[in-house]
Amino acid sequence: MTALDTGSPATAADRLAAFAGALDDCHERAVPGGVVVSPAGWAVASVRRLGDGAPVPDGSGVLAARHGPRASDAAALGTFREALLELHRRTLRGVLDAAVARLDRRESEGVPLLGRQLVRGSVADVALALSQARDVLRLPRPTAGRHHRVHRELVDAGRTALKLYGAFGFTAEGPGGLLHLTELLGDTYLYPEGPEDPEAEAGHE
Amino acid sequence: MSELLPERAVLLRDHVREAAAGLRDAGMEIDRDPTAVDRWLHLPAVALMRGCTVPVEYVSSPLRIGPYTYDMSSCLEHTLTIEELSYGDAGFMLACPGPLMSGVAVGALGDDKQRHAYYQRLAGPEPTWTFFGLTEPGKGSAAAELETALTPDGDGFRLDGAKRYVGNAAFAQLGVVFCRRAPGPLGIEAVLVDTETPGFRAEPIPTVGMRGARISAITLDNVRVEREQILGYDTLKPSRRGLVGAIRTLQRFRPVLAGTALGLTRAVLDHVRAERPALAGAARQCLDDLQDRLDAARWHNYAIASAIDAGEVRADRIAAVKTRAAELAERATLAAAGLLGPGALLRDPWLHKVYRDARAFEFMEGTGHIQRLAVFQGVAKGTFLP
Ligand SMILES: Cc1cc2nc3c(=O)[nH]c(=O)nc-3n(C[C@H](O)[C@H](O)[C@H](O)COP(=O)(O)OP(=O)(O)OC[C@H]3O[C@@H](n4cnc5c(N)ncnc54)[C@H](O)[C@@H]3O)c2cc1C
Repeated sequence: MTALDTGSPATAADRLAAFAGALDDCHERAVPGGVVVSPAGWAVASVRRLGDGAPVPDGSGVLAARHGPRASDAAALGTFREALLELHRRTLRGVLDAAVARLDRRESEGVPLLGRQLVRGSVADVALALSQARDVLRLPRPTAGRHHRVHRELVDAGRTALKLYGAFGFTAEGPGGLLHLTELLGDTYLYPEGPEDPEAEAGHE
Repeated sequence: MSELLPERAVLLRDHVREAAAGLRDAGMEIDRDPTAVDRWLHLPAVALMRGCTVPVEYVSSPLRIGPYTYDMSSCLEHTLTIEELSYGDAGFMLACPGPLMSGVAVGALGDDKQRHAYYQRLAGPEPTWTFFGLTEPGKGSAAAELETALTPDGDGFRLDGAKRYVGNAAFAQLGVVFCRRAPGPLGIEAVLVDTETPGFRAEPIPTVGMRGARISAITLDNVRVEREQILGYDTLKPSRRGLVGAIRTLQRFRPVLAGTALGLTRAVLDHVRAERPALAGAARQCLDDLQDRLDAARWHNYAIASAIDAGEVRADRIAAVKTRAAELAERATLAAAGLLGPGALLRDPWLHKVYRDARAFEFMEGTGHIQRLAVFQGVAKGTFLP
């Protein structure tokens, strides 16, 4: 049984608080004592770290955001992006493991849902995306464009993983809120281009 | 697309479109506080939802447009209405009082007396919220294995068990509960339950999005049920009631749900165009691709709803259009966040809301896996791909 399971003692609030702490660690790695500001001028961190920020809408109470003009330098952004993707990957891994445990206990026609081939296929798809993301992130000469592509891949895999939970993945108590924060952070920090240049990317396909 | 629709449907669509304008503020408020619908009950959209599928003879001032009178008992007209209201705001639409799915179940299974009592209540002066209780905590997709028990008790029955993720249940006055009177698929019954009956309890379940659906967890503890509350008990054979009714309701409602997803998708694409009128290159292609998929899915959905009206229920195609519509809504919201540029989810609260809302369609009325199984059946039988 893992931290995201229904039977687990950790509540969704605990998990969200832990995520906010892990996000602050990413900031700390890039800008000790400070927060990283995205090229479009956004900073998102825990409510504690970003005391003067506004609560992130549906950041489930743990994240704050601030908009200001000065973006962090390229080195800080690069370090932060890598750390953020690693956090996204770790979070999704936890969500996948807990989904597998949960599906092993939910039954239909006397057999665990984990035995259904469609379910197995989805589990495998998420695992494949996770392992590919790790490999891509290990390549030399990381670029912002590559980071964005990995993010999009992880978002898609996350959506697949959440579907494995049925409606539980859509409740505040389930893992959906956590993955939503990873998506929101990627949307804020992982774009390779400037704020007024959405043409450069064909959206999220 | 209008040329594919009969004149009366086009008139209805245009009328509802007008009623749907301005629902977004209400929708945003409901996202923050799901009980907020109570403050918006004066809106024409609410009147439409209250009247949907209630026969005209029960309604004091039925919807009339030009030469036509509407009660949305036609699947096509129901679908169009819900699609247009969802273009306004899907969460708001789902939070409204009215028959929604329970009305389809009562219409399909109830005897004359049951229908009469139900429609009279729904058409009464006070707004009435309803629910359709099928899913259980331990069994979601495996609906045929539901465990809520209907046990004989004197001259009636009692109901014990639990339901989960049931839209509006914590706010409703009455609803349909699916339960088991005997083992096996034929042992399932659909029972009309008044939520004031002792032993009925329902609590809202907070969600990541689509908060207007106000999904709830129900506990049924020794709830008294009279024979006449069992839908079709005196008029239908066991093989035509219960689970068959649930399936029939879901099939009749799936194009309506697909309409909800497609209405939301259309709203998202229009929003992107309004915010970024000069999109070009790959971004424009992405938008055009989504628009093509939307137009095709809408056309397909209308065709399926019209076929249902003509008595032709094709489970595989209904499953396909529901799946595609749900996927498209999710894909369009993800794309919109990309097309609107970095930080869009923080800058644009409406986008952030529909981005979260769109995930609901995957689960409502059966997950993508379950729909795929139905599509596969159609492929195997040679009915899906003509
Ligand atoms: C917004 C919203 C509104 C809802 N409204 C209502 C309502 O009004 N009334 C109501 O009764 N319910 C309602 N539901 C519940 C919905 O119908 C269920 O969530 C859905 O049927 C899935 O059930 P589950 O959540 O228990 O998931 P599970 O059945 O536990 O599924 C878990 C995973 O296993 C997969 N799976 C399950 N069985 C199989 C199989 N045989 N083969 C392959 N894969 C399988 C699923 O696809 C999913 O990925 C609502 C849900 C939402 C999110």
